[in-house]
Amino acid sequence: MKKQFAILAGIPILVTALWAGAPKKNEGSASTTIVSSTHDSVEMRLEGEKRFRTNCGRCHAAPHKFPPRMMATIVRHMRVRATITDEDMRLVLYYMTQ
Amino acid sequence: MQYFSQSEVRRSAYPALWVLVCALFPLFAVPLASPQTPDNERPVPILTGNAGYFTTVDNGTTELVPEVIPVLLVPLGDKWLVESRAEFYGEFDSAKGQPYAGKVDKDLDYLQADYIANRYLTVTAGRFLTPFGIYNERLYPIWIRDLNQVPLIFPIESGSSDGVMLRGGFPVSSWASLNYATYFSTLNTNAALDSDRVVGTRTGIFFNRPRIEIGGSWRKELMEERDNAFGFHFAWQPPPIPLNLRAEYARSEYGSGYWIEAAYRFSQVPALNQIMRRTEFVGRMQQYFSGAEKLADEGGKYSLPHGDTQQPDFGLNYYLKDGLKASASYARWLGTHNWNTWTYGIAWRFAMPLGRVGGQ
Repeated sequence: MKKQFAILAGIPILVTALWAGAPKKNEGSASTTIVSSTHDSVEMRLEGEKRFRTNCGRCHAAPHKFPPRMMATIVRHMRVRATITDEDMRLVLYYMTQ
Repeated sequence: MQYFSQSEVRRSAYPALWVLVCALFPLFAVPLASPQTPDNERPVPILTGNAGYFTTVDNGTTELVPEVIPVLLVPLGDKWLVESRAEFYGEFDSAKGQPYAGKVDKDLDYLQADYIANRYLTVTAGRFLTPFGIYNERLYPIWIRDLNQVPLIFPIESGSSDGVMLRGGFPVSSWASLNYATYFSTLNTNAALDSDRVVGTRTGIFFNRPRIEIGGSWRKELMEERDNAFGFHFAWQPPPIPLNLRAEYARSEYGSGYWIEAAYRFSQVPALNQIMRRTEFVGRMQQYFSGAEKLADEGGKYSLPHGDTQQPDFGLNYYLKDGLKASASYARWLGTHNWNTWTYGIAWRFAMPLGRVGGQ
């Protein structure tokens, strides 16, 4: 009985993960999806800095910038750890890699 | 860091194991690497973490605590992250006239696979930090915490869980975002992976203009006495001032308590600005009210006080450079006995790539 319950409980998790994990047409990297012009680029960087201070500064002092590939990993880690939003993650990553 | 007793329900681990297997299944079913990011932005595995060396003089006894806390981050494809944190620490003290002696211990804090399902949901499976309050998950690393001593109520919220967790954060309006974490943990009596059979949730709302976060946590034991624990947290960084205000309240069958902490960075002080902007003053007040007769003192790294206690703390941090911090603090323990606790030391955060990162 408990085993059946556990399987039933696991199915929604599995279905949700598979359904939600399907690639969306417009998904892409932080820089390629958001920025479409120089003006946008400046705005994105300013907004990214703001989000960086708002989100990251809540727990720790601002770190120096790391190379983009390291920053991508760190921001992904922080997205999970600090439950920051998807939009914040992309903007912070953009700011930290420019 | 677990503190609840464990005695029964080994059989209950099997259904929970199935949930774990079901949640881990997408790890193998979904193509891992369908990279949509350019090569120079593709995440690379990282070894990060922190190391420190602290000296504590507690009621006249000096204790030396060196510690290394490595964190391994391995991104897979665009949506996966495998992450792990371990703790290696020593606790050496000296009896009068004797050389320092003690033990070196280790803990596995988390070893988890995260699947970023969509912008609202991340599925985590494995061993993870129990999401209760904000200290355990966010403020615990020694390079982050403002005072080296953890709050009195920390044992109520600390620990790790083995199971499945759903979590995420998303905007609910232009001025606020919601974050949540809901989990189920199975009983595990393995010394290195100990956890209780519990279910719990934590949620918070962050108001981005005033930079205020408020939230609450709840946890229920699904074994033995089926006890409940709950708590609330608050954080505020007023935008014009380099001030960090945080507070937590937690209540369990063992007792209840709160802490309120303020950390002020002297970056706006014009005199000696090169030094002052690296300097931070911290004050904290905390109280613990002992509850039931059973005490959460089972030989773990942290334990609750044996009786009603209050403790004011004051500290000074100096940020030497990025990720390197020197700290000193004083606390006055006011309980069944009163004494002073002095702590000083240094903490360092490191990060190194485990692959080619290219030039910046």
